[in-house]
Amino acid sequence: MREPSITQPGAAGRNLAASIAAARDELRGDIARGAGGRTVLERYSDRADVLLRQLFAEAPAPKAPVAVLALGGYGRRHLCLHSDIDLLILFGGAIGVSEEAFLRAFLHPLWDVGVVVGHQVRELSEFEQLETDNPEFLLALIDARPLAGARPLFDRFSSAFHTASTHAFILRSLLGLIDVRHAGFNDTLYQLEPDVKEAPGALRDLSATRTIALLTDPLLLRKGPTEPARFDDAEDFLLRVRSILHLEAGRNQNVLGHELQERTAELMGYPGAEAHQRVERLMSDYFRHARIVSRSLGWARRTAPLPVGPNLGLSRDGIRFMDPIQAARNPASWMCAFEAAVEHHTSVSEEALSCIQQHVDRYRADDFFPGTNDRAALVVFLKPTRGLYDRLSEMHDCGLLGRVFPEFQAISWRVVRDFYHKYTVDEHTLLTIRNLERLTGDVEPGRQRFANVLAGLSHTELLVLSLLLHDVGKWREDDHAVESERMADAALTRLQITGEARATVLFLIRHHIQMALVAFRRDTEDPDVVKEFADFVGTEDRLKMLCLITLADVGAVSPDTLTPWKEELLWRLYVDTYNHLTQRYGDERIGRNQAGLDRLTADLPADVTKPELERFVEGLPQRYLHLFAPAAIHQHVRLARNIRPDEVHVSLDRVDGAVWSLAVVTLDKPKLFSNICGVLSSFGMNILRGNALTNPNGLVLDVFHFTDDESFLEMNPDAPSRIAAVLADVVAGREDVAVRLRGRERGVLHSKSSIRFPPVVRAGNETSSRYTILDIVAPNELGLLYRISRVIAEHGCDVDLVLIATEGGKAIDVFHLTQRGAKLTEAEQLALTSDLQRTLEEIR
Amino acid sequence: MKLIKSIVRPNKVDEVKDALAKLNIAGMTVTEVRGHGKQKGHTAIYRGKEYNVSLLPKMEIEVVVADAVADDVVKAIVTAARTGEIGDGRVFVLPVLESYRIRTGEREA
Repeated sequence: MREPSITQPGAAGRNLAASIAAARDELRGDIARGAGGRTVLERYSDRADVLLRQLFAEAPAPKAPVAVLALGGYGRRHLCLHSDIDLLILFGGAIGVSEEAFLRAFLHPLWDVGVVVGHQVRELSEFEQLETDNPEFLLALIDARPLAGARPLFDRFSSAFHTASTHAFILRSLLGLIDVRHAGFNDTLYQLEPDVKEAPGALRDLSATRTIALLTDPLLLRKGPTEPARFDDAEDFLLRVRSILHLEAGRNQNVLGHELQERTAELMGYPGAEAHQRVERLMSDYFRHARIVSRSLGWARRTAPLPVGPNLGLSRDGIRFMDPIQAARNPASWMCAFEAAVEHHTSVSEEALSCIQQHVDRYRADDFFPGTNDRAALVVFLKPTRGLYDRLSEMHDCGLLGRVFPEFQAISWRVVRDFYHKYTVDEHTLLTIRNLERLTGDVEPGRQRFANVLAGLSHTELLVLSLLLHDVGKWREDDHAVESERMADAALTRLQITGEARATVLFLIRHHIQMALVAFRRDTEDPDVVKEFADFVGTEDRLKMLCLITLADVGAVSPDTLTPWKEELLWRLYVDTYNHLTQRYGDERIGRNQAGLDRLTADLPADVTKPELERFVEGLPQRYLHLFAPAAIHQHVRLARNIRPDEVHVSLDRVDGAVWSLAVVTLDKPKLFSNICGVLSSFGMNILRGNALTNPNGLVLDVFHFTDDESFLEMNPDAPSRIAAVLADVVAGREDVAVRLRGRERGVLHSKSSIRFPPVVRAGNETSSRYTILDIVAPNELGLLYRISRVIAEHGCDVDLVLIATEGGKAIDVFHLTQRGAKLTEAEQLALTSDLQRTLEEIR
Repeated sequence: MKLIKSIVRPNKVDEVKDALAKLNIAGMTVTEVRGHGKQKGHTAIYRGKEYNVSLLPKMEIEVVVADAVADDVVKAIVTAARTGEIGDGRVFVLPVLESYRIRTGEREA
């Protein structure tokens, strides 16, 4: 049974050919009187509607609900004499035999009588995906008008189609299409033989102007440089001219050429004794109207808010709510305004800020983040980028920041009197974030080294979050860092930030002063001071974050507090600590009765015993305890159980979106590290970071984080077991990794990074008491680690420890090497580094 | 009067200040400076690249004292700022010809 109809069929149109001929004759008569403008075309469109409804009614009903929609110019009721009749035939279900029968019955009679129909047939479900490759069709849909069939189906189409993101796409496409079209006319409307449809200032521009208003601000044209009545006059004039062109040419002809100008002027009744005088008057009128259209379009393009999100538009005064009443009821959308402002490098409009300020007190913190996506969007928003300080300041000024983070409200306009601080606590806090964001984009030359540190971090939003909350404890007079940490804990719970991220933020807040104390007050040339600080921070990432927090924090105390002198002290402490963490950790091993193991043994899983765990960690670098959470360490213990020579125990997990983690436990043997890297490369895995650790008994634990760029793991359910089997075969010597890689010779051995810089290779014996330290910094690419480790293996070096990192496109690897149980001699180092340099240069 | 100008490690400023306070020397000027002495800097390595660090951060402390206590002040500074390692710094003693208090224009003895 059909759904309720849009219209019922009329009595007219039973004889289609006669009806069409009658309608066209009537239109021809009107045009010949020079009256083929808007009113006449609307009447002609209405007659076409009647005929189509009649055909619709007479066609056999399909099983699926169906609706016929008029599109484009016909949708606007401006059907010209020889224009195509553009239709969308929309089905509410799958198109089958009965639907095809309907189409034949509906369309064939039109074709039979010579009507040119531009028809599109779609199922409603097809509108779930935007047809981005067909912007002209999407534009035509903007003017869609229901002609016949199921009204509910049309309504469903409307809600699926008219979304903010679709409107934004269409608007962008429209602006692009206008530019291309205008370029075809050398961007001038003053054409001697204008195309009254396509030329600048002609009908398509007029329609584009209306579309821009419709998509952005329906009242836009009322605010424009031209009175709406004059705009309507221009439309009527252009349609009258176009109608005459169709009539005189007998086809869809839109160019007002010289040969038609006299006749057009005559039909439109221009006075003048001579034909050229009448033509001049016609053309003068044409240019006047085209200029009105052109100016209106230009103004609309400059001023219309660009849809940038649900109920959000980008206008000259920043991001605004398209519908402030709807925005007031939806606090979850407010953060979107600030996120859009950051993304589009603009501000939030005063109007939107006033709307928020007016309603903000009605809502609680949770109302701003009702869902996981909202919280995820906040995290993205907090990544340091230019404009973040300004947006956070706007949020603070309109009261939103203190609602989203009630902890921050506690330090609003808070004055703490001391000798150094020049600003209130809230402003100091926001300035720290400004200092951080100034390490992005164009960075002042002296700060580039800190900017590089920031660029090397993956979760920079944790820095902003830490800075935002680092001084909230200053609402009290006592040790503010402790109170800030306590308050931040509640905020993190609310934002559902857990695990390592949470621990990192709390660490940074609790200890945000620590690095300044060490850098500025202690003798950082003393290796013991550096070692103590390195033990305190534990990992390179925390060191980097604390360094940046310190820089941002000290710089926000007053304009003069962060002197180049202090920056230098801070940088030196950073470098010395970084070197200690990456180059000396091999000298510091976990002892038998190591303090600090309580964290691991306090909450042991049932299948792991304390002696077993202690045996496993003994002799591994102390760094191991900083690198891995207890659960990961317990898993490593399980992997190490009953390991025998040539066996490989592995675990493979997805850790963070596209990143996978592979833990490999085996017993040491020559070329082991190179072989494992080779196996991962042979499966197309791009190694991002990791650690290779060896204990004095030859137990090897390698942990790699990598991306599966070829989706091998996604597409093959048995992928983990296949990787494990190949690893076992290669490590046991049953398969040669070089043979496996032959098929990938081009990809792995000749893969080239998209970024280019001279590789750095340096070996030295000065930092570690046990190892030769090999530093490599090179453009990252597939198979790089395999190529490096193969050269190292060829030089007979044992790889005891490896630290693998990537920052952007840069691979940063630190190897701890020995040869026959001792450090490499200078000659051996030179031979190795020369070979490595050559290998890395070859692939540049 | 003597102007005693000392270049010390940054972390030694507080100890020098304490030592001077014990001699009832309250007024001083402390400036962040960079330079090198016999050390002529050193080479630092970061991510495999070597950097020549020629100017090291130091603190300059200036005090003007009566001739009679100048030796004690120098001793106090040297004792407080010493670690025994290269880079401990220098103390210079200069004569001061005249001194005026800006607020009153008064010449000090």
